[in-house]
Amino acid sequence: MEILAQLIVSGIALGMIYALIAFGYQLTFATSGTLNFGQGEALMLGALVGLTLVGHMSYWLMLPLVLVFGALQGIFVERVGVLPAIKTKSEFGWIMTTISLAIIFKNVAENVWGHDDITFPSPLPTAPIQFLGIRVLPMEILVVVGALAIMLAVEMFNRKSIYGKAVVATSNDRDAAGLMGINTGMVITFSYALSSMTAAFAGVLIAPLTLTGSTMGVVLGLKAFSVAIIGGLNSGMGVIVGGLILGIVETTTGYYVSTGYKDVPGLVLLLLVLAIKPSGLFGKSVIKKV
Amino acid sequence: MLQIENLNAAYGKVEVLHNISLSVPKGKVVTLIGSNGAGKTTTMRAVSGMIQPTSGKISLNGKAITGLPSNKIARSGLAHSPEGRRVFATLSVTDNLLLGAFPRLTFGREKGDVPGDLARIFELFPRLKERAEQQAGTLSGGEQQMLAMGRALMLNPDVLLLDEPSMGLAPLLVKEVFRIISELKGRGITMLLVEQFAAAALEVADYGYVLENGRISVHGPAGQLKNDPAVKAAYLGAAH
Ligand SMILES: Nc1ncnc2c1ncn2[C@@H]1O[C@H](COP(=O)(O)OP(=O)(O)O)[C@@H](O)[C@H]1O
Ligand SMILES: [Mg+2]
Repeated sequence: MEILAQLIVSGIALGMIYALIAFGYQLTFATSGTLNFGQGEALMLGALVGLTLVGHMSYWLMLPLVLVFGALQGIFVERVGVLPAIKTKSEFGWIMTTISLAIIFKNVAENVWGHDDITFPSPLPTAPIQFLGIRVLPMEILVVVGALAIMLAVEMFNRKSIYGKAVVATSNDRDAAGLMGINTGMVITFSYALSSMTAAFAGVLIAPLTLTGSTMGVVLGLKAFSVAIIGGLNSGMGVIVGGLILGIVETTTGYYVSTGYKDVPGLVLLLLVLAIKPSGLFGKSVIKKV
Repeated sequence: MLQIENLNAAYGKVEVLHNISLSVPKGKVVTLIGSNGAGKTTTMRAVSGMIQPTSGKISLNGKAITGLPSNKIARSGLAHSPEGRRVFATLSVTDNLLLGAFPRLTFGREKGDVPGDLARIFELFPRLKERAEQQAGTLSGGEQQMLAMGRALMLNPDVLLLDEPSMGLAPLLVKEVFRIISELKGRGITMLLVEQFAAAALEVADYGYVLENGRISVHGPAGQLKNDPAVKAAYLGAAH
């Protein structure tokens, strides 16, 4: 029982990372109906840029710089990869361009930071805290708090500020939003900036718990994609629930079955959800039947 | 105020509008009548920038707005209450109205008294006040129509385009919509009105244009069109 409780607690931090990346998928899907399939690479770049920066400054000073870097990287992806596809009304062009850019980012990272995984210095004590016999790493707490904080901040922005409302209006009805004087093209660029920013943030949150390297984003991005599908591409709450489920299932599978299979549940879950409920557990139906 | 000269528009290769010219003078209500598919909505879309005209010239307050994106045209002072209402379903009634004032709350248009105008919209549409915090998607058709009109008014527009504000509404609500249009006219709001109820539209309007297959066939003062035998036969029959 204690072991199971421990596995659940360990799964929560990982689950929140999935939730955060999946949240990023939602942000661009809401405004533009497109996804950045390089979301995992945005995370990886954020982590590696963060790694370089912490050589010169504290972790806390590095955070805002990585957020800015993530936003700029997102704007680059939108302008270079997505906007041309939207303009030419190429329905699936953005899939190819975001995947291509992801591969390019991975190659660039290999050349700049090398092939080997590097440890990321932890800003918090690495000794676990004991609580009712369960061990929690301070960094795991930071992951959960940080992930919730940034999601809450975006949610508050959307609800309270007129610019946030303009983002929601664009998600509701792009043409009608244009009639309100909203520059919906800018809103889409902004959503890409926000999306990559959350991924970069996820990168520097998870990096001290794992290893950092050019390939770290591939599997995370894919699994978070399954979380976005499970949680629904439209619903904010859904990705948290979906992320936590996946994180916990993974740590328990890793313990009770074999760590060699820890990547399997996420992909099986994706296959199951796609087969049973293509719109995700919480969201409205978005995937057209063909 | 709003001037359209030789406007042509198409959907892909299908040409829909042919050399439309019309003008909406300041403080006047002008109506565009025509059967289904004549091109009324397309005219409105081309004016507000929802579609790009293939040729022609559109000007607002003497400034060319031809080919500008819809958000810039809105900032220039043109409000468009589109066909089918198009309210923001997941946002509250109040948020929908505030977004109508987006250019005033951000940049591009004089701010004025937004809270005061919001209160005045709620006076004009008491039903909206009762539903202020409700999601727009949960409103009835009539309430959504009121919201679409209120939202457009929140711009403090120089010109207001109303595309079939009575579409799909019960007779009592249709009457209410026309009462509001008269009231807005009384306040001096410049309007271009498209309506299926041509007789009622000509009643409230100062001037009218008849659109047939994408071409203006007849135009003249509303009182004159009402008595035009051809217009009467085609648009003001028992069905209308
Ligand atoms: N989005 C569209 N794509 C293609 N054709 C359209 C579209 N909207 C309208 N049309 C066509 O353009 C013509 C004019 O339509 P519309 O302007 O909606 O007419 P009205 O508002 O007078 O009923 C019709 O033949 C209609 O079928
Ligand atoms: Mg129409």
